[in-house]
Formats: sequence, C-alpha cells, structure tokens
Amino acid sequence: MLLIYLVGMGTIAQFGIAQARRETALRFQNDSQYAVKLLVHRIAAIRGGKSADPQWPVACNRALREFVANVPAKSVRVVEGSSVIASTTPSEIGTTVESSISATIPPGGLEIVTLPSDARHRIIRSPLALAEPGTTETESTLPMSGAYVEAVLPIEPLQPASLADHARLLAIILAVLGALFVVYRCLREQLRGVSKIAKRLESHRDRIEEDLASLRIGDAVDAVTVGWNELVGLTERLLSTVQRTEANEELSRVLQRSGGGALSEALNAIPDGLIYITDEVRFEYVNSAACRLLGCNASEVKKLTLTDAQSSGVGAKLLTLIREAASAEGFFEARTEVLESTDAQAPDQSTYRAWLIPLQRARHQGECLVMIRDVSQQVRADRAREEFIAQVTHELRTPLTNIRAYTETLSSGMFEDPKVITECYNVITKETRRLSRLVEDILSVSQLEVGSIELHVDNVDLKALLSDGVRDVRGLADEKNIDVQVVLPAKLEPVRADRDKLAVVVNNLLGNAIKYTPANGNVVVGCQVSAEAVVLTVKDNGIGIDPSEHAKVFEKFQRGSNPEVQHESGTGIGLYTAREIVRRHGGDIELISEKEKGSTFLVRLPHGESRAAALSPV
Amino acid sequence: MAKILVVDDDVHILRVLSMWLQRHGHEVVTARDGKSALATLDRETVHMIISDMNMPLLDGIGLAKEVRAKSGPALPILILSARCDQERLNEQLATYGVRVYPKPFLPSQLVVEINQLLGVTVS
Repeated sequence: MLLIYLVGMGTIAQFGIAQARRETALRFQNDSQYAVKLLVHRIAAIRGGKSADPQWPVACNRALREFVANVPAKSVRVVEGSSVIASTTPSEIGTTVESSISATIPPGGLEIVTLPSDARHRIIRSPLALAEPGTTETESTLPMSGAYVEAVLPIEPLQPASLADHARLLAIILAVLGALFVVYRCLREQLRGVSKIAKRLESHRDRIEEDLASLRIGDAVDAVTVGWNELVGLTERLLSTVQRTEANEELSRVLQRSGGGALSEALNAIPDGLIYITDEVRFEYVNSAACRLLGCNASEVKKLTLTDAQSSGVGAKLLTLIREAASAEGFFEARTEVLESTDAQAPDQSTYRAWLIPLQRARHQGECLVMIRDVSQQVRADRAREEFIAQVTHELRTPLTNIRAYTETLSSGMFEDPKVITECYNVITKETRRLSRLVEDILSVSQLEVGSIELHVDNVDLKALLSDGVRDVRGLADEKNIDVQVVLPAKLEPVRADRDKLAVVVNNLLGNAIKYTPANGNVVVGCQVSAEAVVLTVKDNGIGIDPSEHAKVFEKFQRGSNPEVQHESGTGIGLYTAREIVRRHGGDIELISEKEKGSTFLVRLPHGESRAAALSPV
Repeated sequence: MAKILVVDDDVHILRVLSMWLQRHGHEVVTARDGKSALATLDRETVHMIISDMNMPLLDGIGLAKEVRAKSGPALPILILSARCDQERLNEQLATYGVRVYPKPFLPSQLVVEINQLLGVTVS
C-alpha cells in the first residue's frame, strides 16, 4: 500500500515538475526572442543610416556584451556580408562565416534554427534593417543586404535545475512521509485509547464511569454540581409543598369523613371555639362554638376568608384580633387576648380569652389555630375573690376600729365617768365577738374548701341553740327595731348534729334576716319535725331575693346584686358556709323568696333513720 | 374652738369620736349617712367634716363631691376608711382636696391630725 502510495505521489510530483518546466521554457523562449528583437533594433540604431560610422562595430560589441550580461546567451554576433562585424567571441571578429540568414525573413522577423549537435541550444537570427531618417528604430523597414544578428541561446533557462528539482522532490517525499508518520502515530494513540476503553468496558464494567470521566468529563463537573444543587433544592421545595398539601388534604379528609362522625362531634361538643386558618387566610375549619361566636353556619365556613368575614360583638373583636395577628408576610404571631362582650343587653358581660397559635410545620408558618374560651365564670370568680378580700379587710377592720378606739378611751384616763367605762367594755366585748365570728366564718370557708371540716356529732337541743342564736343578734335587731320571735313545738327532741357548726348556720341565717330586713320589720324562727327530718325555718319580711338569684346567693363570695344588699356590709360567705355545713349533715337548705316579699330559709336536717343513712357515708 | 360634723353608720364610732373631740373642746354634730350629713350642712355651719367611707345612701366620696360643689374648697374634709385600697382612694380624693385617714385608728392621734388641719385652715 505504502509503496504504491509513494510511487503514485512521486509520479504526480514528477509530472508536476515536468509541466512546470515546460511552461518555464516556453516563457523563456518568448523572453529570449523578444530580447533578440530588441538587440536587433539597438544594433540597427548603432549602425545608423546608409552611411555607417566606421566605428560602429565598437559600439556594436559593447551592445552585445551588455546583451549577454542580461540574457543567458551562449554567443551573439553581428554578421554582414558573411563577415563577422562584432561578436561576444572576439576571435571571431573579421572572420567569415558560412551560415547566412534566409532571405525570406522580413525585418523584425526571426529565424530559429535548432542545432543538431546541441539539443540544449538553438540559433536565433534576425535580419538587420537600415533605419530611415526620421523614423523610429522599430519602424525601420529596409533590410541591409545579408546583414543579421545571430544569437545562440539555450532552449531552457540554465539549470543547476536538475539537481534542485530532485532535492525538492526528495524533500516533498520526506515531508509527506513525515506527515504520514505523524498521522500514523496519532491514529495509533487514539486507537490504543479506544482499544483500552474497549477492553475496560469488557473487563471492568464498574469502572466505565471513571474511564468516561477521564475523557474530559471533569470540565463539566462544576456545571453538573450547580445543576444538581438546583435540582435538590427544587425537589425539596416540591416535597414540602406536596407534604403540606397532603397534610391539608388529610385534615380535610378526616374532618369530612367524620362529618357525622366522632371527631367532628367531639370538636363540636367542646365549649371552646376552634378555628383553623390556612395560609391563604381562609377558614378551613370552624367548630360549633366558634360558629356561634362568629355568627356563621358550618356550611358557610369554607367560603369565608379573613378579608371578607364579617361579624358583630365578640366575633368582630375576634376577627380584628386575627387580622392584627396576621402579618403582611402571611405569618401569624402568637397572641393571647381577653375579649369583652359588648352586648349591653346581657345581664352579665361575657369575657372570652382568645389564643392564636401559629402552626409551625416545616418552614411554613402561614397557618394558625385560634382557640377561644368563655372565661366569664373564671373572671367573675376572680372578681368575686378580689371583692371578698376587700370585703373581709373592711369587715375585719370595722370591729377592730371600735376595739382599738374604745380600748384607748379606757386606757387614756381622760374619761372617768363609770357609765362611759361600762359602755367601753360592752362595745369591746361585742366587737370582739363580732370579730371572732367573722374569723370563724372565714376559717370555715377555708376548711370547707380543703374538705378538712370535721363534724363533732352530739345530741343538740334545738331550743337552746335557737335561743342562743337569737340572743346573739338581739343587739342588731334592737338597733333597727326588728321583732324577732321564736316559735317552737312544745316537745322538741334533740337532733344529732355538730352543735357549733349548727350554731354557725343559725347565726348566719338570723344575721342575714336582720341585715336585709328594713327597720320595724319582723323575723320568725320556727321548727317542724317529721318522721324523716327536722326543718328549721328563718322567715323575714325584708327585701327578698329575686328567684333568678336564688342559686347565686349560695355561691361562695357571691351576694345579691340589688343596691340594698350592696349597701350592707358582708363577705358573701354566710349562706355558702351554712349550706355546706347542712349538706355535711346530710341535709340541705331551701330558699323561698321573691323580691320585696321577704325570704324564708328552710334548713332540712335528716332525722332518725334518714339521718343515719345520710351521715353514714361521711 | 371648732364645730365638727362627724358622719358614720356605726354608732360606736360616732360615740367615741364625739367623746374625744368634745373633750378637746370641739363642738360635734353627727349624721348616720351622707344624705343626712348634707341635710345637716344645710341647717348648720361647720368648720370641718369627718366622714366614714362606706355608708348607705351616700358614701364618703359622694358626700365630699356634694360638699365641694356647694361650699367650695375651703372646708376641710377628712375621710376615715377601712378599705384595703387606701392609696387609690387617696389619689381619687386628693382631686377634691380631701384627706384619707385609715381605720382602725387611735383617737388620740386622730385628734392631733384634726387639730392640725383646723390650725392650718381655721384661724
């Protein structure tokens, strides 16, 4: 193959060279002929007109020498009438030559004669013409008879050429060979790499990636890393969206599935309002309590957004609160607020406590759970407790004030009137008893609170108990000119009870009766005995209690709301204590009363077997 | 000496204050509640009012307001209070130029206080 290739290439090169040489020779011959024509004109000019300058051959020789200096002629001579006039070979001058120019060659024409002995040279002859006066050299037309210029010129330019051509050819061949070798080597490297990969592909499939990586994959690593990270980020975001959607759907599904089911019922049954707001500030779920509060029904809920939700009263306040808590970024801030009901018609203002709990799932905070609880009871209890403390303080200080003032009156020595001294002792004694009773009441409440009250059951003479009770309040009754009567059956058997505790009950009921009965009123204390129970009654014709407040007056720290009650001092523990004590005895207190029509309290104590049955579990 | 109106729904307080003030040479008139006190003021001219805080019909603050509206700021008023929010009451009554004196009190010290008030405002 290579040999054929080389021979082919050589032939092509040789052909190219020969072609080039032929072209060069042709150009050379044209140039030579033209040069000869110019020389003929010049010689003719040197020769001049018909009468030649005898010295013209000298100038002619100079012209010939100049000619051969520029043209690679072997020899040049000027012949006239067979005699050599001038020549580049000085020995020829004056000699006779046998050759002559063909007579048919016109002035300006050329006769080219190939030499049989010398294939590399040829003879170019051109006839000399006499220049006519006034004409230019080129226009000379008259031939000089037999005079001509003869130049022996090489057919081709002189060649050290032959050797140079071969060297060039050799160089070309070497260059081609070198190029081929380089190409071969390159191919072989590539082929070797490919074959190596092929081998590894077969033997080490696991390492294919490494080998591929070695094929310039490394440059792409950075780009791939960036792309990968973007992909991972995108995937995470998609994943969280999907999870969120799934969670929402799951919640909706659960809520929908349990539409008539247990969860929904449970959520609707709790008294606390629950609102679940999605990140689109849409009400996803609102339970019954919250519906009532917002004044909407459950089917409307899903259509509600925070922006267009409308409500009144506490609902409006709640919406304002939620709107305030929802920031511009769509996040909710945790808040706890107390909302007062603005319903002026309500007898007791309702108080609600609202909790806004932002839900934090993944990095998403745009959801919120709102819980709202009616804390009216608690608030009322707190207020009642505060009022109780204020009342107790006042109640304790009032007898203390008298005790302290009358004690100083005694000790000052400024008042020596025996009547005054007696008065002082009486006031101190009375106020001390009042203070003591008050402290007992407060302690009773504390004991009842912690359940540590103990009953010391004994046979109690009711007649004596009631008489003592009336005696204790006689002072107060006399101040208001209230008539207190005790109406008892002729025969009254003792009851099993805690004497001191029962005394507290009687005292509290009698105290209230006198306190809330206007001046000149009357109070009747009675007792009825049946087979099951002993019923003590304390009846007055005082201000009475509205039936709506019957339950309330027995509550701890609670008092009637009418102004007459509020004007009287009191701690709101008397009736509570009384009822608790009676209940510990297995009985109860009943209230019969209407506003402005007086009150009757009935203390029912179990009797005989009922009492035993009632007391046994304690 | 001065004529002093003492107002309290507790008769024992009225009695003991009357004894002490009279012993210190003052003339005392009494009332059982704010309304009665106002009626008394319509009839009589006094140099000072000493009143309980918690009373039926009209309490100490109500009385003080009425008195200030009728008689101006000159008449010294001293309110005796057994309440636990003494400071708040003090601030509330200060706007009417009314002093608050806490219960329980020692009559001897209260008399000193009363005399000081009278000495400052009554020549």
